[in-house]
Amino acid sequence: MLSVPSLLVCIPLLPLVGAIFCAVFGGVKELRRWAHLPAALCAALSFVCVAFVVAKLTEDGAPIEFPVQDSTSGQDVDIQWFSVGHGQTTVSVPFELSADAIAGIMLLGITFIGFWIVVFSIGYMHGSPGFARYFSVVSLFLASMTLMVLANNFILMFAGWEGVGLCSYLLVGYWHHKPSAADAARKAFLVTRLGDVGLILGIFLMWALADQHSFNYAWIFNHTRVKFEYYSEVYTAACLLILCGAVGKSAQIPLYVWLPDAMEGPTPVSALIHAATMVTAGVYLLARCAPLFVLVPGVQVTIAIIGAATALLAAFIALTQHDLKRVLAYSTVSQIGFMFLAVGCGGAAAPVMAVTAGLFHLFTHAFFKAVLFLSAGSVMHGMHDVIDMRQFSGLKRVMPITRWTFLAGALALAGVPVFAGFWSKDMILETVLEAGHSDRFGSIYMVLFGVAAVTALMTAFYTFRAYFRTFEGELKMPEGAHPHEPWVMSVPLIVLALGAVGIGFVHATPLTHWFGNFISKAPELMQANGGRHVEDHANWGLMFGSAAIALLGVGAAYYMYRVKPGAAEKAASAAGNVYYLSLNKVYVDEIYNLLFVQPLNLLAGICKLFEAVVYDLVRLIASIPRYMAEVIRPLQNGLVQFYALTMAIGVAVFVGMLLFFHW
Amino acid sequence: MISVSHYLAVGAILFCLGLIGFLSRRNLIVMFLSAELMLQGVAINFVAFSRHHGNLHGQVFTLFVIAVAACEAGIALALFLVLYRRKHSLDVSLWQGLREPGLPITGDPEPLPPEPEEPPLPHLAPAGAIPARGEPTHA
Repeated sequence: MLSVPSLLVCIPLLPLVGAIFCAVFGGVKELRRWAHLPAALCAALSFVCVAFVVAKLTEDGAPIEFPVQDSTSGQDVDIQWFSVGHGQTTVSVPFELSADAIAGIMLLGITFIGFWIVVFSIGYMHGSPGFARYFSVVSLFLASMTLMVLANNFILMFAGWEGVGLCSYLLVGYWHHKPSAADAARKAFLVTRLGDVGLILGIFLMWALADQHSFNYAWIFNHTRVKFEYYSEVYTAACLLILCGAVGKSAQIPLYVWLPDAMEGPTPVSALIHAATMVTAGVYLLARCAPLFVLVPGVQVTIAIIGAATALLAAFIALTQHDLKRVLAYSTVSQIGFMFLAVGCGGAAAPVMAVTAGLFHLFTHAFFKAVLFLSAGSVMHGMHDVIDMRQFSGLKRVMPITRWTFLAGALALAGVPVFAGFWSKDMILETVLEAGHSDRFGSIYMVLFGVAAVTALMTAFYTFRAYFRTFEGELKMPEGAHPHEPWVMSVPLIVLALGAVGIGFVHATPLTHWFGNFISKAPELMQANGGRHVEDHANWGLMFGSAAIALLGVGAAYYMYRVKPGAAEKAASAAGNVYYLSLNKVYVDEIYNLLFVQPLNLLAGICKLFEAVVYDLVRLIASIPRYMAEVIRPLQNGLVQFYALTMAIGVAVFVGMLLFFHW
Repeated sequence: MISVSHYLAVGAILFCLGLIGFLSRRNLIVMFLSAELMLQGVAINFVAFSRHHGNLHGQVFTLFVIAVAACEAGIALALFLVLYRRKHSLDVSLWQGLREPGLPITGDPEPLPPEPEEPPLPHLAPAGAIPARGEPTHA
């Protein structure tokens, strides 16, 4: 029987092995149609390992570490990953994994949802060219993501962080022969790279300040607490740089533009990477670094403002989009904004409460957004790759299972009571409200609370706008549609829909508190909290308020799209320019194009001109010996006797010189 | 009295004759013979000095030169055979392939007389009975 610490290694290793096997299957013609099997099997086994680890965590709460520290000899057991330099500046990175409560929650979501999405993909990707490539990269993604979560130092985490970025690039550009997909993949890669540069700078800034130069989380956090007084500006800068990385990965203002374009990838990929797991890595990072961020309230407020602004802006854009997947993409951006808002309250509110709220929303969001995306994928699969909501309606008659699963996800996203999203969104609102009562920045948090409430209303409206337009009303389908629901796609939909309905009950204040109790055992959170008392009470007024907001939004959508047809058009024309502002995504892409892309293009043009000049100059110099050689080239005429004659004359000349001139 | 310089004079004459032959004749075999002539001129030099100094060093060299010349003759004649099969001629000026690219072929002011037609090789009449196919040819 494997010990629990060695199970930790299996969690990222199994999907990695699966990725290799998928690639091998893809290379053998007879096995190519079975390439999904290693990916699915390894994802399932990885989930089993996670289940064991989480069971152990709930038992005693102490983090599980790999390699196990040998307490008898007092010797540190290190598995060296790499080591560069010598003396004071040695950069030495051990391979060390650790699973605490935060990692446990993340892993549960990643492997469980990952497995079901792999199963869904079997049906969705069936017969697609590059079937094996798809499953290989998805499996590699699961390996990188679990490695990122399990890493116990910043550099190993960064390796996983970049690994998921790479897989995201490969999967967004899966249909690379399509120029739009290739562009979207490049955009996603480059925009997140901007954030990653900040992240690595922040990591090295903290590394430079920590004694003995270690990247270990606990080591750095402990040092921060001691040294913060003397180096507060440097630590603030480091926090801002880490925030920069989180903003890039999690698609927040100003770097959110890549996520809606990333919808060019296959829909299960959007569900897995761009809704449930990878894009929430930024939230995970902020939660992990909570002991750092509680020290810098100014940065915390920045996080909260970025989150709230992103939530509002993305929800505003989502109101008018016609593309079902884009509605969901902007909704993802908006929901991650909610998570940032929650995490940004740590400090003003109790850090444990803030981080718990953020992670709880991350957890429930992973389920209901995955089911929403997969349902959209199912629609797309049946509608012959058409995803424009103007081209179909009333699909509940032909796709009943998809309709119910989408409805479950939509209710959860809208925050209708008892569904998963209700509990987590309510917790976030409560956290923000509590932060609003603090002394510093209290008024700012109160404003953000108002923004969050408005966003929640918009969320409920656009979610049900999408639902009513797609599944209700008269049956209308595009040319070539072939609605069908194979079981291999329906089963994951149903499982995840059940999750969207019921997963909120892991922390349904006032009924259950399992999630909060579990998360608060994470050592970093305990450290960040510093012994502050957290009262987990039900705020009934807020709960009724948020339920009312959700129902109001749903009701508005119902009125506009079901009761009074034409009300939507009237509202659009009444809103005038505001409507077009939303429809055109607030022209952010155009502004970025003007501000950044065009100047860079100009610079690239100048560089190209410079290169052309230098290149021609080099060619000119190189041609001088060529033209000089033209004079003596005819001597090489290929005649053996001519060469022999030359040689004889040469020898004669030399011998003559020796004899007659006594050289 | 025949002194060493007489021997050297003979060697030098042989060498010069060989060199002139090598440079002026275009037939590959004649060129080869001329080269052999040069070698023999050198060999005479060696022998002469060997006798002059009263030791055997020169003799040893000469023996080597003769042995190497014999090997070289085998290889050179084999090469000539291959070259002849390619172009059906022993004219060395037909082989100018190693000149600089783009240069014209050096012309021939006095072409060699055309070679006489080769007589056909004799064919032997088959003797004995032709064995039937598929049967073992030995008992």
